[in-house]
Amino acid sequence: MTTSFRESFLAQVSRRPGAPALVWHGEVTTYGQLYELADKARARLEWLDLKDGEPVGLLAKKSPEAVALVLGAFLAGRRFLLPSPALANSSLTSLFAQASCRHVVVPEGVEEFVPDADADRTVVLATDVDSVHFMLTTSGSTGLPKIVPLPQRGIDKFVEWAGTQFDIRPGRTVLNYAPLNFDLCLLDVWTTLAHGGQVVLVDADYAANGRYLLDLVVKHEVNVIQAVPMFFGLLLDVARPDEERLSSVDRVMFTGDAIPDRTLAELPRLFPNARLHNIYGCTETNDSFMHDLAVGETPPVSIGKPLPGVHTLVLSEDGTVLDGPGTGELYVSTPFQAAGYLDRTRHTDKFVPHPTGQDSRPWFRSGDLVRREADGRVFLIGRSDFQVKVRGVAINTAEVEHVLQEHPAVVEAAVVAVPDPIAGKKLVAAVYRAPDSKLNSLTLRQHCARRLPQAAIPSTLTIVDTPLPKTSTGKVDRNQVESLKK
Amino acid sequence: MSNADVIKKFVIDEFLPDVSASELAADYDLLADGVIDSLGLLKLIAWVEDHFQLAVHDTDLDPNNFRSVAAIDTFVAEHQNEKVAGS
Repeated sequence: MTTSFRESFLAQVSRRPGAPALVWHGEVTTYGQLYELADKARARLEWLDLKDGEPVGLLAKKSPEAVALVLGAFLAGRRFLLPSPALANSSLTSLFAQASCRHVVVPEGVEEFVPDADADRTVVLATDVDSVHFMLTTSGSTGLPKIVPLPQRGIDKFVEWAGTQFDIRPGRTVLNYAPLNFDLCLLDVWTTLAHGGQVVLVDADYAANGRYLLDLVVKHEVNVIQAVPMFFGLLLDVARPDEERLSSVDRVMFTGDAIPDRTLAELPRLFPNARLHNIYGCTETNDSFMHDLAVGETPPVSIGKPLPGVHTLVLSEDGTVLDGPGTGELYVSTPFQAAGYLDRTRHTDKFVPHPTGQDSRPWFRSGDLVRREADGRVFLIGRSDFQVKVRGVAINTAEVEHVLQEHPAVVEAAVVAVPDPIAGKKLVAAVYRAPDSKLNSLTLRQHCARRLPQAAIPSTLTIVDTPLPKTSTGKVDRNQVESLKK
Repeated sequence: MSNADVIKKFVIDEFLPDVSASELAADYDLLADGVIDSLGLLKLIAWVEDHFQLAVHDTDLDPNNFRSVAAIDTFVAEHQNEKVAGS
């Protein structure tokens, strides 16, 4: 039987209270100290006078206190919504309202959350949440992110699998690069704490500083790293080849995006002792594919084969399930997956039955186009819609265009994602402003910042006084957006 | 030009080419809405180091030091004083 996350963590606390649990800016928090912080957080939550089964909102930018706050919710047996603190205030207000969180708690010493009085506060009727603690959000920018309640049984199974798979145990050190609200933390933070390892927390404020990241890995002799490809690009930019080798690292997992060829080629030299893995997954289903890279493997890198217990199918464009090799949209069904979004009206096209009714499993439609080879390996091709990934965050460019068009002085707007050597992709926007309007990029940025998560605000905003170039069918020609940049 | 004017000119040239100096307030939060993103911040810090001949140490990398034209101006002034005092 699978042990629950809560029991596993408490077992580590009682067996090894003096063992290091977290490292934050060089300061160690032991399992004993972390338990004390978590217990204080539990007491704070219990003072709130919550009703039975009432969830609580946690606005937790990464820190030991933030980790303790999440653990405190576990100790109190509470369900909690953990959204990205980088979301616009109005989105956070709406999300907390949807999830029926009357109270939003922040780590001790952090400024309280002030709801946006003008935001939509529609409540969503929650079903199937009895065994849920974690409620994460999708990272997309398509309107409001969707709330994903993750059944605790699925998380417990994942924690058990990941601990064994990546050799996470006492005496082992895991780097946590992702923000605390990302599903990636189920591995690097929560699995590690359940198995008695040490988590080195990367401060989000320095997450683009390669030198800081490299120092963390060297100084704390990190063994396991899971991160988006951009992280490895940042390390490689500052590491002196032939001199700096991160020999303590034996497991490297990249996930969330396609890894650039150049980055992949240099990884074995930077991590001479590491096994490399490409992991594919999403918030709704957790990890579903993994590929163990062979020595000297060259691009393109596949996402490998389904994990144990994961079922997959590829649906071709003509609506048939592919038997052998071919191209189509990927559907998965995993032992870790959510039953649906909290708002059941939003998942009709994502959480679906088998597309041709061949079984009664709950399937998840990934939105990813894939190519399957004759040997069963699967390669990602791209998104089946307007989704792109910017620094690991899924962004819908059509949604960003929509937000730009909401500004009264915007006549036309077009947004495209262009390759960026470090971020992977970045967003470039072109806007045709109303004649005589004084619209500038500063005003437009503020407009975007109130309505979009930070990663969805275009890096470049070009404002022009002529209509945008059109295709022969009269649609805005997105291929020409980048050339408008002065 | 004062330091603040030089800083503002760099920020505008680099990140806000369509904005005039009078439109950018000295206390405008450049990080909140992505005028300067985390990679832009590195570029800005490199420029501050180079242009004002300062060494920005890891302990100074707090983004709040670079949040607005005024904040950068204060940061530069403090570090230039240090240099004078130390020389």
